[in-house]
Order: sequence, then structure tokens, then C-alpha cells
Amino acid sequence: MKRFHRQFLLGSFLLLLASTGAVMAHRRWSRALPDYGYLTGWVLLGAIILLAVYNARKKLPFLPLGSSESWLQIHIYAGFFTVVLFLIHLNFRVPTGWFEGTLAWLYLLVTGSGVAGLILSRVLPRRLATRGGEVIYERIPALRHSLRQEAEALALGGEMKSPAIAEFYARQLSGFLAGPGNFWPHLLESRRPLNAIMTELEEFRRYLNESERATLEKLRDIVRRKDGLDYHHALQRTLKLWLFVHLPLTYSLMMFSLLHVVLVFAFSAGTR
Amino acid sequence: MPPTPPIVERPQRWDAAFDPAMTDADVDRLLAIAPFSRMSPDNFPKRTPLREILRHDTSIRRYRKGEIIVRQGDYGTSAFLILNGATRVVLKPDLPLSLLGRQAPGKKGIFRTLAQLWSPLRPPESFSRARLRQDRGVGARENENNEVRVFLQDLPRVLDKHRTEEMTAGDVFGEIAALSRMPRTSTIFGSSDTAELLEIRWQGLRDLMRSDDQLRQHINRVYRERALASYLRATPLFRHLTKEQLAQVAEQIEFATYGDYDWSGEYKRLAQAGSVRPEKEPVIVQEGDYPNGVVLVRAGFARVSRKFGSGERTLNYIGAGQFFGLNEIAHNFQKPQQPVDSQYTLRAIGYTHLLIVPTRVMEQSVLPSLPRNELPPPISPAKETFEVLPGADPDSARERIGAETLEFLTTNRFFNGTATMVIDLDRCTRCDDCVRACASTHDNNPRFLRHGPSSGRMMIANACMHCADPVCMIGCPTGAIHRESFAGQVVINPVTCIGCKACANNCPYDAIRMVDIRDERGEFMLGEDLKPISKATKCDLCVENHGGPACQRACPHGALERMNLNDLDALTDWMNR
Repeated sequence: MKRFHRQFLLGSFLLLLASTGAVMAHRRWSRALPDYGYLTGWVLLGAIILLAVYNARKKLPFLPLGSSESWLQIHIYAGFFTVVLFLIHLNFRVPTGWFEGTLAWLYLLVTGSGVAGLILSRVLPRRLATRGGEVIYERIPALRHSLRQEAEALALGGEMKSPAIAEFYARQLSGFLAGPGNFWPHLLESRRPLNAIMTELEEFRRYLNESERATLEKLRDIVRRKDGLDYHHALQRTLKLWLFVHLPLTYSLMMFSLLHVVLVFAFSAGTR
Repeated sequence: MPPTPPIVERPQRWDAAFDPAMTDADVDRLLAIAPFSRMSPDNFPKRTPLREILRHDTSIRRYRKGEIIVRQGDYGTSAFLILNGATRVVLKPDLPLSLLGRQAPGKKGIFRTLAQLWSPLRPPESFSRARLRQDRGVGARENENNEVRVFLQDLPRVLDKHRTEEMTAGDVFGEIAALSRMPRTSTIFGSSDTAELLEIRWQGLRDLMRSDDQLRQHINRVYRERALASYLRATPLFRHLTKEQLAQVAEQIEFATYGDYDWSGEYKRLAQAGSVRPEKEPVIVQEGDYPNGVVLVRAGFARVSRKFGSGERTLNYIGAGQFFGLNEIAHNFQKPQQPVDSQYTLRAIGYTHLLIVPTRVMEQSVLPSLPRNELPPPISPAKETFEVLPGADPDSARERIGAETLEFLTTNRFFNGTATMVIDLDRCTRCDDCVRACASTHDNNPRFLRHGPSSGRMMIANACMHCADPVCMIGCPTGAIHRESFAGQVVINPVTCIGCKACANNCPYDAIRMVDIRDERGEFMLGEDLKPISKATKCDLCVENHGGPACQRACPHGALERMNLNDLDALTDWMNR
């Protein structure tokens, strides 16, 4: 069996076991223990802190704290387990009041963004590898700039300058080459924008003589390369940005959770 | 009219002399000295006459008292003949590491590791002056030819503390390391006021050996005595032989070298031009020829290929310790009535040093000693045809990894890496956690680039691969670049690195970078000539850190692995994990 499959099966089995155990324990002790709500709250908070500690591990790569891969596996399965703990803590009811509601929403958003990140991190790298033309994200603007310069030299400069190509370039291509484009189509794996430009290039071809057609072929190649850069830009940007959603939400959740603990203890005298 | 192709003079063997300063008078003088005086010029081919070998492949060098000539553990391309004066070889144990220009191996202590938590951010590539202070036991100076010479400051003390042996005029040393591409086994320094030595580069030594029986026999004898017996004892193929049988086999083994010792420069040029072609590599064994013997790779690498269409398809590559041709010889031994020829072609990649056990010796001594279950099975005609087809033999590593990937690894010579940074692009989220981890571990200085050539979903990042054949270590004048242990990581001691770029220029993979260093305030450090002081930097595989390479441990998706690419099974298992 492949390592990743074995890892998945083991993690899923442990998650199922822990979840079943937690639900059974809930059924048995939810009414029997007097401070049951406190107990589930502390366990849930502990689990959330464990999840958050992963980010600290990433900041300390020089310490022998185990591999980040193992930490992420724990982070993922423990993250799913907190859903069960969360429902148990809520006693399987919809939270009431604005504070509880906000806390619950924050939890759902953190979990949702985590799941989204997990899916993105499994799907997008494969798509990038399949597309090829691997490029470092930070280098994309420089590469785009050099493509634009190459295209301008072909269309607007040189001895072989063609007014028709120059006009076509200014009208159809300069905007496309100016900056990153087609973020959503690339993310959704749509080739419609590229096909549209290619069709225009093809239709424009019949107005050109032999040497102009050679220039157009070079421009077509530049358009393809620019599209490849845009593809990498869109997907790599998404892979980087989701963390900027997940992390601030996590910090907000931690703040609200701590406040929740303070409020519970401040106003719990009557319920004890 | 078609354009006329540019016609240039074809490069010749002696276009670049080893020492352009060699004169006719020098050559005449050498021809009057043993062993050259007894060599017959008639024995040398017209293309490589003795006189021209001495003129183009040798250099007369003078070392002052205490100057280190060769250093234990270094890789060298030449042998030395003492012409005048005396040198001393340091017997085991060798000089301390600091005198050899190296850093002491060891991990960071717990406090130094934890101190990184609160250490302030330092300027890039910064060093404290205290850290750069060298061992006062050695000094460096330039000779009249602007060559850097490292010398032992307190020679009497070294002689007092270490066992040494004198070598005088007529003695030769360094020939085995030069020919077999093995690290130097001892340190040798000048012990008379001036020692005059003839340095012979390996090409010249090889040609001298080819044409002079006495020299060849001498070097072969030294090789057999010093290096071969222990190597054969450790080779599984010979483990059933008695001591006497092993001695007989050793006596009849032939040595061969193929390719170019300084292959990295030529390879870099071809790679940049995109014209690396397997068909241009020197043939060691040709498919379809009679199998003359089992070929053992002692150093370097060789490509196993087979005819396919109009070219050759790479089926495997073999490195030090691996052998070729056993299957055919075992088949002919077991089925003499149905003999087979060599099934594959073997070509040298870069530089390859080989031991060849002749077929006769194999049949008389080695094969009869092997238990029947250890003999390779006879080659079946059906399998012979089957194996050339793509996708055949699905369990073998080379079939699982695919012909294109194998070609990619071989053409780019990545098999050389013992700790190559392999990235699985299907899993890599391009998060750069590996780069950040590397920077954090090296005082905010990343030591690799998360980018490089790729084939399919495999990328080989631009990081030091800690090569099995570390060409970067050839020519370091101070010993700053060295292996941390025997066959261990290749590291650079910043204290003794003089920024000469020899290692960076030699590295075929551009994995060594030169950086201008700064002090703790971020100011560039300048030498007496007011030019910035440069140091060579590269991945050190986090040799000082606990837990292994930080880049690999930092990857959240298990997409990065430091791998020995000479182990195809491990690579295949990892890619199909």
C-alpha cells in the first residue's frame, strides 16, 4: 500500500475512533457530570491551542521538533476532531446570543478556510505541475515585463515595423501583456480568454504578408507564454492567499475564545 | 547562396598547456632525469611524444619549508615527482583539522540552538571578526606566480608532535589519487628550504603510463598494494574467494580510465548550449561485442544504454561499487553452447575509473566460487527482446520511474548527488517554507534556490547535491571545501575560504555562490586592496543542526526530500509513495 494511502487510512481510523469515543462519552456523562460544559470547553480550547501551535513550529525550523509534515497531519485530523468537540460543547444545539453566535461563526470560518486550504493544497499543485513552465512567484512580474518588452520590440520597433501589427498590438495585446489577468478563468481552469485572443490573432492573419505573418507567429508564442505566467500567478497567488484568510481568523477565534473563558468564569456563579 | 558556416580550428589536446611557462630548457633538463631519462621516445606515439607530454602536461613547482603540497582528504588531478630537496608525509594520525583548513565536525549545543530564538536579526552574510580568525598554526602567502600557498607556522612543533616520513629526489606521490579520483590519503609538505617538484597532470600521467611499461607496472603495483586488496575484499562478488584466490584475481585485474577528469567545465559549456549527447560519451563496452570481462566502477559514473531507433535509450546508470557485464559472462559460463554477446552499451559519463576482471579470470576463479543461487540466471532470448520495449518488466525501478525521467537524470548528471533536493511538484504548494527554514537555520541566509530543471512532476532544485564525485573539491588552495567525514557532506569552512571561486567554477550544477561578506554592522568587509572579501557559500545539509536538513523537515506536504539519486529504487519508491 502506498505511504499516503496508509497515512490517510490510519488518520481516518483514529479520527473515527476518537469521534465515536467522544460522542459515547458525551451520551454517558453529559447529564451525570456537574461541570460537564466546563470540561468540554477546556478540551475544545486545548485542541484549538494544539492546532495553533503548528504555526509556532513553522517559525522554529532550527529546533528538532519533528517534521512539519507530521505536524500538518496532526493539525488536519485534530482539526476535524474539533468539529465533534465543538458540537459536543454546544450540546448539539444552535448557539444563541451575539457573542456565542460570533464565536461559532468564527469557528466555522476557521474550519471552513482550513478545509478549503487542504483541498487547494491538494488540487492546485497538481494542476501547476501538469501545466508546466514552473516559475517562482516573485519572479513573475519581471518575466511578464520582459515578455512585454519582447512583444513591443516586435510590434512597435525594428526595421520591419508593420503599421497593421502595431495597430493590432495597441488595440488587442498591450492590455493583455500589461499585467496579470484572467485570475478567475485560470482558477476555474477555463481557457476561454486565451482562445479568444488566439482566434483574434488567427483572424487578423489574413491581412498580413509573409514577413508580417512571421512576426505574428512570434507574438502568438509570447501570448501563450504570458498566459502560462498568468496561470501560475493565479494559482500560486491562491495558494499563498488562503493562509492570509485562515491565520487572521484563527487569531480572532483565539481572542474570542479567551474572552469567552473570562466571561464564563465572570458570570458563572449562578449556574454552578 | 546558403550562408557559409563559420570554420574554426578544432580544439586539440594541448591547446591549453598545464604550465605555459615550461621552456625547452626545462624539458631538456627533465629528459636527463630519471625516470624520463630511461624512457625510450620511440615507444611513444607520434601524436603524444614524450617531449610534448613533458612540455604540456607538467609544471615545475617550488615549495618552501613548511608549505603544504597536498592535503589529506583533498581531491587532486595530478601526481608529483620530487626533483630536488625533500618533503615529508604525515603518517597516521594526520594533522589536526584546523591545520588542514577545515572546520571541526559537530552539532550545535543545546544553548546555541536555543539562542537562535532570541538572537537579533543579523545583516546578510555577516561574520564577526572573531569568527573569521584563523588557526595561528597555519599561514597563507602568495608565491612569485601569485599562487596561494598555505604553510605550517611552527614546523618544529609539528614535526615533534606528528610522525612523518621523509621523501627525497626521485620519489613520486599522489599518482593513485590522480588516476583513480580518490581523495588524497596523506598530507605532504616541503621540509627542505626549497623543494622542487614536477607536477604531472593526470592526462600526462595516463599517457606516460600507456607508453612506458616500467612506469605502468610501478603504478599498477602501487595501486594493487595500496588500494586494490582492501577494495576487493569489500566487494560482495569476491567474498567467497580464499585469500590466495583473491590475490591471484587482484594480480590479473586491469585498470582503465575513461572520459575527462575535469569534465565539469566542458559539461557546463555543452549544457548551456543544450548539446549534451550520450552518443558522444566514450564507449567502454559496445552492445554486440564479445564480453571481455566484468567491469567494476571504482570512481565516477557510467551509462548503460541500448540501441533504440536511430539512437540509444538509457536504461540505467551505475556508480562506484556497481558492476557491469556479469550477466553475459555468467550466461556463457552456464551455457557455453549458446553464448551471448554484450547486451548493452556502457559509456563513461564525465570521468570513470574502472577495474576490469577479465572473462578468463571470472570463469576460472570467481564464478566457480559463487553458490548456484548467487549466479545470475541465464539470459532468455524472450526477455532480451522484451526488455527493450517501453513499459516492460514493470517491477524494476527504471521501468516504474519511466524512460524520460531516467534520461533526464542521466543527461543532467544528477545521479552524482548523494543528497539531491528532489521536489515533487504534484505535492509542492510553492509555500517556500523550505526556503524560510533554510534561511532561519543559516543566520537569515538561504543556501539554495527552490527552482531548477524538472521532468514531469519531479524538480531538482538548485542546491548542493553533496556529490559522490565532488569536482568542486578539486583545486581548492586552502582546503576550505572538504568532506565533513569520509564520504560525508561537502562543507565549506568560511574561515579559510579565500574567495578564489575555484569551487564555484568547477561545480557543474552552479550550486555554489560567491558572496561579499559583511561585519556585524552590515558594512562590507574589505581586504588590504580595498576590494570586498568574498566567500563561497552553499547548502551544508544543516550539518551543525540536530534533526537533519531543515528544508526537508519544514515541508508540510512531504514534497521535498534529500535523496541519493544513485539509488533509483529509493527515488522510485518516493515518487510512487
